[in-house]
Amino acid sequence: MREVPRADVLVIGGGATGAGVAWDAALRGFDVVLVERGDLAEGTSGRFHGLLHSGGRYVVKDPVAAEECVVENAILRRVIPDCIEDTGGLFVTTPDDDPAYGDRFLEGCRAAHLPAEEIDVAEALRREPRLNPAIRRAFTVPDASIDAWKTVWSFARGASAHGARILTYHRVVALHRTDGAVTGARVRNERTGEELDIEAGFTLNASGAWAAQILHMAGIEDVGVVPGKGIMIAMNHRLVNTVINRCTMPADGDILVPVRTVSIIGTTDIHSADPDQIPVTQAEVDQMLDDGERLVPRFREARALRVWAGVRPLFQDARAGAVGDTRDVSRTHAVIDHRERDGVDGLLTMSGGKLTTLRLMAEDLVDAMCAQLGTERPCHTAEERPPGNEDGEPYHLGSRLGRRERTLQEEQLICECELIGRRRLEEAMRARGSTNLDDFRRLLRLGMGPCQGGFCIYRATGILHGVDRLDGAEASASLRGFLQERWKGVWPILYGDQLRQARLDDWIFQGLLDVEHLPSEQEVAP
Amino acid sequence: MALHEGNDVLGALLMRESLDHCVKCTICETFCPVSNVTPLFGGPKYSGPQAERFRIEDEPSSDSSVNYCSGCGICTQVCPQGVHIAEINTQAKAKYGATHGVPLRDRILARPTLAGRLGTPVAPLANWTLRNRLLRLAAERMIGIDHRAPMPRFAGRTFQRWARRHTPRRANRRVAFFHGCGTNYYEPRLGAMTVALLEHNGVAVEVPKQDCCGLPLQSNGLFDDARGYAHRLAARLAPFAREGVDIVGTSTSCTLMLKREALEILGMEDDADLRVVSGRVFDICEYLVAMHKRGELKTDFQPVPETVVYHAPCQQQGHGIGEPALDLFALVPELRVVESDADCCGIAGTYGLKREKYDIAMRVGAPLFAKIADTAPDRAVCDSETCRWQIEHATGVRTAHPVEVLHRASGLD
Amino acid sequence: MSHHDVVVVGTGLAGLTAAVRLAEAGARVLVVAKGIGSTHLSPGTIDVLGYAPARVERPGEALGALVEAQPAHPYRLVGAQGMGAAIGWFKDRVANGSLAPYAYTGGLEENLLLPTAIGVPRPSAVVPETMAAGDLRDGGPVCVVGFRALKDFHPALLADNLGRSRIGAGARAAELDLVPERRTDVNALGFARALDDPAFRGEVIAQLAARLRPDERVAFPAVLGIADPHGAWAALEHGLGRPVFEVPTLPPSVPGMRMFAILREALRRAGGAVVLNNVVTGAEQAGGRVTALRTRVGLRDERRGADWVVLATGGFASGGLELDSRWTARETALGLPVTGVPSPGEERFRPDYFGDHPMGRAGVAVDRELRPVDAAGERVLENVLVAGATLAGAEPWREKSGDGLSLATGHRAAELVLDASTPAAGAPAAAARS
Repeated sequence: MREVPRADVLVIGGGATGAGVAWDAALRGFDVVLVERGDLAEGTSGRFHGLLHSGGRYVVKDPVAAEECVVENAILRRVIPDCIEDTGGLFVTTPDDDPAYGDRFLEGCRAAHLPAEEIDVAEALRREPRLNPAIRRAFTVPDASIDAWKTVWSFARGASAHGARILTYHRVVALHRTDGAVTGARVRNERTGEELDIEAGFTLNASGAWAAQILHMAGIEDVGVVPGKGIMIAMNHRLVNTVINRCTMPADGDILVPVRTVSIIGTTDIHSADPDQIPVTQAEVDQMLDDGERLVPRFREARALRVWAGVRPLFQDARAGAVGDTRDVSRTHAVIDHRERDGVDGLLTMSGGKLTTLRLMAEDLVDAMCAQLGTERPCHTAEERPPGNEDGEPYHLGSRLGRRERTLQEEQLICECELIGRRRLEEAMRARGSTNLDDFRRLLRLGMGPCQGGFCIYRATGILHGVDRLDGAEASASLRGFLQERWKGVWPILYGDQLRQARLDDWIFQGLLDVEHLPSEQEVAP
Repeated sequence: MALHEGNDVLGALLMRESLDHCVKCTICETFCPVSNVTPLFGGPKYSGPQAERFRIEDEPSSDSSVNYCSGCGICTQVCPQGVHIAEINTQAKAKYGATHGVPLRDRILARPTLAGRLGTPVAPLANWTLRNRLLRLAAERMIGIDHRAPMPRFAGRTFQRWARRHTPRRANRRVAFFHGCGTNYYEPRLGAMTVALLEHNGVAVEVPKQDCCGLPLQSNGLFDDARGYAHRLAARLAPFAREGVDIVGTSTSCTLMLKREALEILGMEDDADLRVVSGRVFDICEYLVAMHKRGELKTDFQPVPETVVYHAPCQQQGHGIGEPALDLFALVPELRVVESDADCCGIAGTYGLKREKYDIAMRVGAPLFAKIADTAPDRAVCDSETCRWQIEHATGVRTAHPVEVLHRASGLD
Repeated sequence: MSHHDVVVVGTGLAGLTAAVRLAEAGARVLVVAKGIGSTHLSPGTIDVLGYAPARVERPGEALGALVEAQPAHPYRLVGAQGMGAAIGWFKDRVANGSLAPYAYTGGLEENLLLPTAIGVPRPSAVVPETMAAGDLRDGGPVCVVGFRALKDFHPALLADNLGRSRIGAGARAAELDLVPERRTDVNALGFARALDDPAFRGEVIAQLAARLRPDERVAFPAVLGIADPHGAWAALEHGLGRPVFEVPTLPPSVPGMRMFAILREALRRAGGAVVLNNVVTGAEQAGGRVTALRTRVGLRDERRGADWVVLATGGFASGGLELDSRWTARETALGLPVTGVPSPGEERFRPDYFGDHPMGRAGVAVDRELRPVDAAGERVLENVLVAGATLAGAEPWREKSGDGLSLATGHRAAELVLDASTPAAGAPAAAARS
């Protein structure tokens, strides 16, 4: 374990906010350490809808948030083009929506300088043949879909390239306070159990929905973080190639986003007391399917691939009043100044916000830190491109297929659904140093296609074992862990085609491989 | 998902949606005759439901390997989940063609009537040209038709011309004969035998004016042109269908085109003529077996003391009607039929004619050719004309349509 | 409209078993199916009962006990006796089939313990001769051989886990750098075809022989020939001078494909016909009997008249049973009543993947004569019999009974049809095919 005695800035949280902050601060010349209790983007960022907002959703209800989105949308397309697919977006008035809202929508877009345009319903249906033919109005907006993992990893790598230290699987167990200031934290390496102390001149709490838990360690209570749980369902293929929004006041299940090979319907909004307890309920699943049906007829006959819950870091200062419908809580973000609010120096918390504005959130947080430190260091994140985006080309769905075509005869295909070749997998395994198949699932999308690992996971386990990363016991544990983790996202939406797949996978893993009888760690060879 | 609700044909878009049924079981790959002999084709699962998730209408096509799919359709037949794999591949090939252009060679091969019309008046010269090695080598170099590829012989007189001079027999039962380009330009004798056989069994045969069904255009990715041909052909045949007159064809690939492929792949589900024709098209053996079940077929066959190897072409299997030719052969005394176990002869319409695919096609057909060589039959029998030409080319064994055997057994020779 | 004595729906092991048995008894049999069935995905062994829930050593005995303990289990429909008869029939069919002298070995007395592709000892009752030497009860070290180009088999992982288990006496791995046609990615079928070729066999032997230790037996992935498995296996044993066995791995299953080929050929010889790409969409009924099946072929509906129907559609895995997005289940061919599916508001599956799931045993319930019954236990149709994975009451992948159930119930279905048919109606001359 490396010694990490000191840093200028300690960033707590390895999601989009934390990675963005680390990148921003590192670019400004700060010496940064980032700690994250799990893998990068394992929290909210890894479980979100995939939408790079144009802002259209907020133009009527939350104009400030809308304007932020308009500006940041353009900036992100410039600095992380490789993480973004320019799908475009449509706002459509379904039979359940008031057509007059469309006029308010257009007005709001004008006010926010959001380029929206009404088009013929016939034209909308020509572009998206699976759209509900009963829609009455349609408007185009510059929505896009964004790959959150890639975004977070880009910023993290960028920060590393500028000297930041990114420590995943390091959980904060205590915050150090000295004379009314936060001076660092004690963290535990979740893999080895070792604990170490980090001293930092300033601590930035970018832990999103978990912010209150972190602040509790500094003795700060009553911070109004309102975790808002929402579920999303990924459908097996792109039912649409444009982001489809219901043209109405923000409601549940009113967005369908094409993200890489899937389309994601979401979402619900339910107050959750504990951001780590966010079960998917049957009622929510049923509701999402109905909502999908409204946008795309015969949605229920399409194949649902996976369901998950994410938790939004909504902020409503408890001192301001009780929590109502979490959807009414503003989606814009705020820096919580603990010097002013709680008399604690050296600590700032980012609350609220959405992935679309991650760069601005980071800028605001680092600016606030600079103000308190009394130093002037300008922000460069609106111009600099983090690693992986150098060629300036936006993401195209066909790129993986094109890449695979070039190596069709030389490289084995390991994850066939997501077109991951053996070389790529082995490289990632060597570079990553992880023994957890789930990490590779997040990194490469291994096992995230229709077969949900049915064919590739046995292969990947064998390869991981061969790359000298695992012995048999670890390999077996990792495989079982993967199956269990995958099952979590599958069993609530197990019907139709996905049930067929699950049965085939049962035959393979249990009937053929008999994984449930893998020898456990305790067994000893004769 | 019910792709077809009642009589509702949901067409090309929902053909694609059938990719949802794919559970990656690999069964299609085990049967694909092409991917089993060459790594240039990623296989039906790879090019079909798997790659389709990475394709968008508006984006340029990025997988050239799909062009090695021969379109034999075996994958769709064996898929236990009902994925329309071959249809997805055919659509993907067209998309690739739309992005990167369709070569001149494919445009020529896709228009058999063009070749037919040009070659028929000068048949002896045309036939000589097609068999001249130097000219064939030049053609291979210039446009990419393999110099070894099997070419039929122009008959010089079309079947349409024969039909115009033939006095049709009157009868209670009528059929319209959809003979196809192959019979018209290259095998008019087959057409004549078919008419004779039907008339012998008390069926009056009308031969409407007709042109290509558009299948080779579809296979080569020229969908707009294919639609035009399919539409025009359907318009000619629809009046018969509406009158309740069945349409009978001798080319199993062309009848399959009308039965379902044009509707499913070309998205012509709104074409009223095509829909009514699709419901009344029959393969000739299918039709004869149906007559037999109604007691209308003359079964006083003379012995045909031959050994034949019967190969059911892929597109015949695609009808999903079993192998009616075998049911008919069972009625012919002394005829010994050996079934080929092979799935595909390799030609797949125009596929095996192409320089980069000729060798693949020959490897695909190798087990069939070996079976025929081992059996040393009097002749081989096959329902599709391009397959017959491929088999003759590869084995030297004379290859006939099932009708020819029945024609002989009916004493009409 | 066509008419057959028996229409069998499904080309898996259950369907083909019933079809062959009936055709060989003289019935005119038509098999209709959407596509190819379970054979290509199964390990190719006949697993009768592996876990109940402890590991089973004597499957015949355990089967009897199981039926006592679980009266709703489909094994009650055949019993140990029926299972034994089916096994006997199957072994005979294979031994005299198109791949002879390729044969199966084993029976109900004791389970073999064969290693899976991940190195877990799995109980199997009846196995191909090409796998029998892998019985881990025999002890002795194993050298697990793989091919770099075969990504579906990982010998080092297998050997590692085998070494850790309490069975077996140690294992190690060896990788051969041999590949047919210099390809990088070849599946099991590609290797099996190569091993049909004596030249390739020779190369394997040449590369391997010197690397083996004196007392090792050799494990290969299940690729020992598709057209000539006996020849491939015997040649390797002879050339390497020691026991050789193959280990079933990810689909495509070569041993399963051999099973299919043998049964398909037997069906053809007996005059049975198979039509693919046909989906059964319903039936015409009269007086509690099915008179004809309706099938969808492309865009056309066909009617297929039948005196008897054997429904072997493969359960949820192949769409024989379906659960829709409103959580209602149906049997997709004939709309038979489905049992064991919780109501829409109730739990169907639980969060622990390896635990029990309320919906695990859903399927079509039948009476002692395999006729489908409703919730009250009343027969729904007189002349329809249900076999295989569509039956309710078992979780074959957990208890390791999949092919055993399919074989036994398919065999029993044929038996019941033959018993119930009068000589005149049930056994006309087989269709004349030369």
